[in-house]
Amino acid sequence: MSLLKEHLQDIRGQVCPSSLLVALRCINENMEAIRLGTLVLKIITDNRTAVVTIPNAASNMGFDVQIEKEQEGYYVISITQNNED
Amino acid sequence: MPDSGIILTIALLFFCGFVSGYLMHRSDFCMAGAFRDLFLFRSGMMLKALLILVAAAAVLFELEYLAGWVTLPFPIFKAPTLFGLMGGVLFGFGMVLSGGCVVGVLYKSGSGSRPALTALLGLIVGSGLYAEVHQIITPWLRRTELTTHVTLSQLTGISSFWWVLTLALGVLFLARRWWRTDRMEERTFSAQGYIQPWKTALLLALLVALGAASSGVPFGVTTSYLKFAATVEKLLLPQHFSTLSLFNTQPLVYLLPLSQERLTGGAGPAWDAFAVLQYPLIAGIILGAVWSSAWLKEWSWRGHFPLSQVVTVFSGGIIMAFGSRIADGCNIWHIWGGVPIFAIQSLLFVFGLFPGAWLGSLVIKQVILGREGA
Repeated sequence: MSLLKEHLQDIRGQVCPSSLLVALRCINENMEAIRLGTLVLKIITDNRTAVVTIPNAASNMGFDVQIEKEQEGYYVISITQNNED
Repeated sequence: MPDSGIILTIALLFFCGFVSGYLMHRSDFCMAGAFRDLFLFRSGMMLKALLILVAAAAVLFELEYLAGWVTLPFPIFKAPTLFGLMGGVLFGFGMVLSGGCVVGVLYKSGSGSRPALTALLGLIVGSGLYAEVHQIITPWLRRTELTTHVTLSQLTGISSFWWVLTLALGVLFLARRWWRTDRMEERTFSAQGYIQPWKTALLLALLVALGAASSGVPFGVTTSYLKFAATVEKLLLPQHFSTLSLFNTQPLVYLLPLSQERLTGGAGPAWDAFAVLQYPLIAGIILGAVWSSAWLKEWSWRGHFPLSQVVTVFSGGIIMAFGSRIADGCNIWHIWGGVPIFAIQSLLFVFGLFPGAWLGSLVIKQVILGREGA
């Protein structure tokens, strides 16, 4: 797992629906690496709807999703390979 | 010293606004998103909630009417014009560019969103610009009047009771189906303190009904944006201000239900009937969202807001202002207040929102993702 890389995408402060649109583009651009387990995609958002829609979209694509709320009040959505595959 | 009926009305409307702002922040109850996401992501979750709100409000308004608490159609609703449809298209386009409607920008501004505050400024500037052309547009508006009847009930002679019953049963049937097929809510992932939109929709319908019982009209906010623009213009350009008819007339004559006091109102800067009806709502919605976001520790001004988005969002606000003015009201007025009483102008406005939101979703996708994303 030493090859595991992190791709951070910060979408805070942008107009709706930037969060979901940018997240979907990011997932598509990094699809292979996430599926191979070499990349963790971390989406940083302050949009409450995005905390519902991004995980749902990623989950429907077969990825594992973790949501963490940071002390500063924003959310970090981590999208990784589904270990059950 | 204002009359106690006025004070009670202001207090009740502030309460309605505050709870609405709190709920809308919790559910991110975005009506621009409801129409936009249908085209952009094929998602109808928020539109379902909106339909539930409309049906619940229709039932509550009808009950209030039968109890003699309100008069239907509500005062201020006008006969339908073709501009109702055109206003809907413009408004739908503008609200998608802005990332929020006239109320969405309030609760989002309350939670610290700079895009929402930019859209709000656009709405106020757009209202000021509209005042410049109001005299040219007004004769055209009335020339396109389609009928003198305000509601479908008046047009067809079929009692509002049957319209409401049909709508309520139809939505009940659909809601039952959505519930059974698990399409009513997203249960797997959510933000902290999330309230399912359908629950917020039902509570908002109750609040709109409470607002209507206390003030005699459903929620509306956009005349206040004209009043804000008028206030600034009167300060900066007093001579030009005095030439603008929209800002210098008081067309609304209105009896306050709680005290039967006669009030007048207009788009000028005066603290009149529109100020009583709308300022408490606006303040309540913003503060309700401030409260909710501060409680969740999510209030924030941070983040990068690209210039292309600033321009788009501001322009969207201006376009929304024009849309609401030529359609005799905004989306809140028409969807939460007009559609539940089957006001024809409101139905035309909603038909117009769909193509407008479709067009807006094409543009906003380009703005956010650039050419390669389209």
